[in-house]
Amino acid sequence: MKLRVGVIGLGRMGRLHLMNSLRIDDVYVVAVADKSKSALKRAKSLGVQKLFLDYQKLLNDCHDLDAVLISLPNFLHFPSIQLALESGVNVFIEKPLATTSKECLEIMKKVKASGRKLMVGHCMRFLTVVERMKTVLSKGSIGKLEVITIEEILNGPFAHGVIPKPIPEWWFNPQKTGGGALIDLGYHWIDIFRYFTESRKARVLFSHLDYRLNLPIEDGAIVILKSLENLVTGIIHVGWYQKSIFPRYNFRLVLHGDAGYMSSEELIPKNMYLHAIKEGMKNLLRKTIRKKIHPLSYTYYYEAYYNELEHFFSCIKNDLEPSVSAIDGLRTIEIIEEVYKRSTRTSNGTK
Amino acid sequence: MRVKLTDLVGLTKVQDPKEIKDALLKTLELIGFKPEKHVKTVVIKPNLCYYWKSSTGYTTDPQLVGGIIDVLREMYNKNLDIKIAEADATAMKTKYAFKMLDYEKLSKEKDVELFNLSEDILEDKEVQVNNRKIKFKIPQILLNADLFINVPKLKVMRITTITCAFKNMFGATGYPRKIKYHPFLNEAIVGINKILRPNLTIVDGLVALGRFPVKMGLILASTDSFSVDWVAAQIMGYNPSRIKFLKIAVEENLGNPQNIEIVGESIKTFRKEFPRPSRFSKLLWSFQLSMLKLYVKVTGDLVPSFLEEA
Repeated sequence: MKLRVGVIGLGRMGRLHLMNSLRIDDVYVVAVADKSKSALKRAKSLGVQKLFLDYQKLLNDCHDLDAVLISLPNFLHFPSIQLALESGVNVFIEKPLATTSKECLEIMKKVKASGRKLMVGHCMRFLTVVERMKTVLSKGSIGKLEVITIEEILNGPFAHGVIPKPIPEWWFNPQKTGGGALIDLGYHWIDIFRYFTESRKARVLFSHLDYRLNLPIEDGAIVILKSLENLVTGIIHVGWYQKSIFPRYNFRLVLHGDAGYMSSEELIPKNMYLHAIKEGMKNLLRKTIRKKIHPLSYTYYYEAYYNELEHFFSCIKNDLEPSVSAIDGLRTIEIIEEVYKRSTRTSNGTK
Repeated sequence: MRVKLTDLVGLTKVQDPKEIKDALLKTLELIGFKPEKHVKTVVIKPNLCYYWKSSTGYTTDPQLVGGIIDVLREMYNKNLDIKIAEADATAMKTKYAFKMLDYEKLSKEKDVELFNLSEDILEDKEVQVNNRKIKFKIPQILLNADLFINVPKLKVMRITTITCAFKNMFGATGYPRKIKYHPFLNEAIVGINKILRPNLTIVDGLVALGRFPVKMGLILASTDSFSVDWVAAQIMGYNPSRIKFLKIAVEENLGNPQNIEIVGESIKTFRKEFPRPSRFSKLLWSFQLSMLKLYVKVTGDLVPSFLEEA
């Protein structure tokens, strides 16, 4: 039986989730909701039947949904999750789970009361390189993990596509985003730090936020964490301040153990163009022999978005708990909140 | 009326940002720029095409604009009404560009106004280029300013090969969705320059953009936009007569390469420093995109949003 799915929000991420869902077996996208008429028109051209300008109307009108995928602006995560759970559907929410720990706690209660599944889009856990590093670490190949260093510096919301598109206004409003580069990029890597250390809680040892772009939201963050259970140190540096164009990707993840180390740079393909050609050829072959292609594998990084959705849908079908739940969202937001509390700037960006 | 026989283009090398004001004065002297008494209002149009700082080579350095303001106040008087003006673009909003690229800071320091050209009264103008009629929405302030200064960046661009003085005027049109002109961009660039004729162009080549940004320390100035672009193309290692919009500009009598005279530093000084993109980079990009389209068509695979063309 096919899962009946609704997609809420058709911005950059929502569109990707829609396209991915349309290619996952046994998933039927019944409805989409977005404020943009052109985005709805495009969804219609992809075969989606029910179109809504208001996500609340989608949740009220579509009674037979199994799940919704929510990719709304950060400040709408909390109300939309609440409504979705009240409507009795399983929820996949783009990260962050919500903008405050208070909201995250409320969501956790709602999930428990509803008996539905909620998965947060911590897509980096589904990145091939991260999966490989986790496997090697669990085999003890680098001994006891001592320090994790993570760097990701790019353009954030200012990334420029082939066709330039305006950046939605909410990105410039700290009340609507909940923060800047830290909640956008740092969120992923704080979660990955927790994932590798398998630590429930971590303490902030040091934090520094940068405001090079004169915006009320930080464009860079350096955070040092210590996991409370096994005392692993994490050094995280994220930023929105660098002009970067894909496939160049300023990202490094290094695990330092007492018996060795492991760097993402050794595992990620050195030449992304060659990787794209190789993966493209494999998919062409799969297509020729009528096998299922591996969507987005040629991009290397974007494949993670497909994999996380496949995992979510499989959890619903098999009645399993998703590997990333509301508690992971809460713990990550708690650390981010701690960093913002320590910052000398207020939430509106003034000193 | 005095007939202009030569279009002087002045080139000056700046070693240190502290020298910007002196270098500007020297360059203006080289091209014989003299202040005119009637000037009370000045509009300076930098290139703030996106939210990337001047150190990336994409946008005009606020230090250069600050230097221009100092020079103008010295040449004219301290009460000159100076506005720094930029228009919204397809993906760029002027209010954020001013903030993120340090122009708000500059405006406070120099006590000048920041002006969003897209919020001005826009006049409909139509021009004909290559038998194509093109309509523009022109901010009134640019037509009425006593002194209009164009401050473009020296850089390469995939569609037009180079972008400098002429292209920066295209960015001054009031209608934000400028991407609608892209199918006939070369004609549109020439068209807008038939309407907007800045009195002075000062090019920011402090950090120029080729394959990557490079600190060139160049200030290039002229009262003739066409001559600026003709010389800029040579500095970037291109034959200007093969740049499509410059070819059209010659056909449309917007300039005459034979009238250009270079004063100050030589082109060679800067050309050897400029990292010109490979001749094949444009072709390679188009080839990659068409291969991707073909692959997606055959396999039904997805395209990440940043690579989508529509």
